[in-house]
Amino acid sequence: MPRFRLTGLLRAPRAIARAPALLVLTLAFAISAAGAPVKTPHVEAELVAARTALVPGEPLAVALRLKMEPGWHTYWQNPGDSGLPTTLAWKLPAGVEAGPIEWPAPSLLPVGPLANYGYEGEVLLLADLKPAATLAPGDTLQFNARADWLVCKEICIPEGVDLTLALPVSSNAPLDPRWGAPLAAARAALPQPPIGWRVSAQGAGARVALTLTPPTQASPAAADPGAMHFFPYAEAQIEPSPPQTLSRAGGAYVLTLPVASNLAGGFTRVAGVVTATHGFGANGRAMTIDVPLVGSVVAGAKPAAAVAPALNLVAPVPAADHLTFAVALLFALIGGVILNLMPCVFPVLSIKVLSFATHHDNRRTLRREAAAFAAGVVLTFVALGLTLAALRAAGEQLGWGFQLQSPAVVTALAMLFFVLALNLSGVFEFGQLAPSGVAGWSSQNRALDAFGSGVLVVVIASPCTAPFMGAALGYALAGSAAITLSVFVALGVGMALPYVLLAWFPGWRRRLPRSGPWLIRFKQFLAFPLYATVIWLAWVLGSQRDNDAVLRLFAVLLGVGYALWTWRIVRTGGARPWALSGFAVLTGALVLAWPLFAADTDAAPRAKAAAAAEEADWIAFTPRKVGELTGAGRAVFVDFTAAWCVTCQVNKRLVLNTNDVRAAFADRKVALVRADWTRRDAAITQALAELGRNGVPVYVLYRPGREPLLLPEVLQRQTLLDALATL
Amino acid sequence: MRIRFFTLMVAAATMVAAGAALAMAPGAPAPGFTITDTAGKAVRLADYRGKYVVLEWTNPECPFVRKHYVSGNMQALQKEWGAREVVWLAVNSTNASHPEFKTPAQMSDWIRAQGAAPAATLLDATSATGRAYGAKTTPQMFVVDPAGNVIYQGAIDDRRSANPADAKTANNYVRAALNEALAGKPVTVASTTPYGCSVKY
Repeated sequence: MPRFRLTGLLRAPRAIARAPALLVLTLAFAISAAGAPVKTPHVEAELVAARTALVPGEPLAVALRLKMEPGWHTYWQNPGDSGLPTTLAWKLPAGVEAGPIEWPAPSLLPVGPLANYGYEGEVLLLADLKPAATLAPGDTLQFNARADWLVCKEICIPEGVDLTLALPVSSNAPLDPRWGAPLAAARAALPQPPIGWRVSAQGAGARVALTLTPPTQASPAAADPGAMHFFPYAEAQIEPSPPQTLSRAGGAYVLTLPVASNLAGGFTRVAGVVTATHGFGANGRAMTIDVPLVGSVVAGAKPAAAVAPALNLVAPVPAADHLTFAVALLFALIGGVILNLMPCVFPVLSIKVLSFATHHDNRRTLRREAAAFAAGVVLTFVALGLTLAALRAAGEQLGWGFQLQSPAVVTALAMLFFVLALNLSGVFEFGQLAPSGVAGWSSQNRALDAFGSGVLVVVIASPCTAPFMGAALGYALAGSAAITLSVFVALGVGMALPYVLLAWFPGWRRRLPRSGPWLIRFKQFLAFPLYATVIWLAWVLGSQRDNDAVLRLFAVLLGVGYALWTWRIVRTGGARPWALSGFAVLTGALVLAWPLFAADTDAAPRAKAAAAAEEADWIAFTPRKVGELTGAGRAVFVDFTAAWCVTCQVNKRLVLNTNDVRAAFADRKVALVRADWTRRDAAITQALAELGRNGVPVYVLYRPGREPLLLPEVLQRQTLLDALATL
Repeated sequence: MRIRFFTLMVAAATMVAAGAALAMAPGAPAPGFTITDTAGKAVRLADYRGKYVVLEWTNPECPFVRKHYVSGNMQALQKEWGAREVVWLAVNSTNASHPEFKTPAQMSDWIRAQGAAPAATLLDATSATGRAYGAKTTPQMFVVDPAGNVIYQGAIDDRRSANPADAKTANNYVRAALNEALAGKPVTVASTTPYGCSVKY
């Protein structure tokens, strides 16, 4: 009995053992047919298919499934600041081709101050298998692929596995019960080109404004897309780590993208994926974008350059970014009109206006003169604008007002204004300067004279930047040559407009009293604003050079004045020795003036006089300094100014240096930083470019943890106090 | 008066334009630093003004750094250029608070074990220099010319992988930049996107 049982017992295990073995083999076959998941230390990977068989001639969706341990991630096609994208290399049997990886929308994965683009949790990287129509049903095909990826948490581990997928070829292919639905869902969730949404990209400074306009027929209750993020396909275009601020412009959404610190050439299109937490309506959670980049950009700041977002990382979205061409033209027009009221221009313009008030010409002559004047104004503006654009294209770090950063130009302007003032004061007449032949021709050719006046008026206006001009100029110089040209033409038209209107409708002249002594007195009165301008220009020269230069300038002006006075005497029949003395003094004055003209703009910094108590609070501007201050949690107010900028000086006296504003600054412990652009400074020009501007004044309030505030050029006390109240 | 002023304006504009045309376009100046090396000495970038300097951002824990050391590629570069009077500085900007931080002893042991030959190994424990240079990955290379300007920045070579075999066959950007610079020619590839693990700030 026991022996039989033993034999039975001995025989049984073998049978029992065989069954599980068979079971295991079957299971193994089944698993390998589906592609058994391969486990690496942190990732489980397998190839899965949407259907259980291949139909000849019909593409089949397959996917590389990666399941990462919590906290670990793999990378998108653009990995971001570091990392490597996952690759899939197929070894395919004959008759089948494989398409490229179709990437699902990535997530933003911050890594300290840097950022990566990739996936956490589980991801299905889709691809299409395309079997030829000539395949014979009945065969089972083996698909092999080598998948390589980098998986990181805090450390990074490159991993690679060989995967396999076996599929029979059949005319009938039911959905895979396990993977059919997930793969279909993944395919539906892939980012697609936008339907109904309009997208555009505008570059200015170190930022790109991506504007997304929802479909117009969307109901008012259409969901807000929520937080958005843009992921570029290519590297070295958009910096991955800085925040992308979202704002509204009417019904559209504007996402501000920071330009890469290692910007490579050829950034002419903005292409990538934009995601939204609440989705884009019918477009799902992510859309693909591929639009041209309008405007030009410069490289942005390095990602970890400062403890907190530094000067150029989170930039405000100033008016200039949202300027459309039409609005920029309008701003230029308004700015041009206001320019007529600026202290540089007003006196000379009033004289011009009065001169034709007193010349009782017919309408036609007046209109011709006005047209010539307008032509002079517009052409000079265009010439100045094109010179500036050409010099900037040649690499010069210049902005509007660049001509005043040169002591030579300041000296020349001071001399010009002085001569004009002497003319108004009655020391000489222009007619007396020129030989009688030229004077006669000049009075006959009034149109040419008017043209010359137009040119002169622009030249003397250039130191003054009117409100509205700043934003328009920023837009103009960032655009193409045609845009620059158009904006400067608009500026010229705006400036000439009042004069042209007065000349076109001369009815107002009847209201004026007849020409009489009041006119002469008025002329002499208007000389004084011009003398004041000379004094101001002398002060600018002193800021650029030193006290000796100012003395020299005054001596030159004295010589010029004397020479003009002696010339008048000679022309009205005076004796020869007067002429000789005048000529000698003039020569002496020009010789004295020569060092002022030959001055180098970037001469060694002059010895600073003791600063006034008001100036002592202000720190000199460097981007690093601003970054340090904001990093320490302080608000920073940056005043971009220059000695030759009248608006800046007015704002300084009327607003910045007043007691209540200074008290408000002190209460909130605002750090005061002054960027003095009186002489050329490449760092300041760069900082202005990154703010979308290229002229002064510019006032920025940096608030720790929030978007900076750009304040208007004509600074009102209340505006500044309100801005400080938001701290 | 008007005529003279315009002549002056034209002359000024011409002078400025000519100056711009003649000036070379320099690379950006390399941020200065003072870092203590593994031997305890304070090393300043300014000390090496007048020589070519290569800054190699490194981290022993990173597989991409290991790729270049296991293959012997980095050591060979260090010896090749050290012999030609190029100062090779290895910089580890891993923050002192990060788990991968290496003490001076650990770092110098690792360097010695690899047979590496940098002129100095700098421990940027506050990560300040990494931030100043905008270093994103390890490895990441910067080549500084004798005037103190960065003439190359970016990846060490063009094979973005962690496979040591690729180091031998890849096109090495650092060698190319130094060859061109020492021959007095401008560097053709001055900036590339670096690859590797992120710098552990």
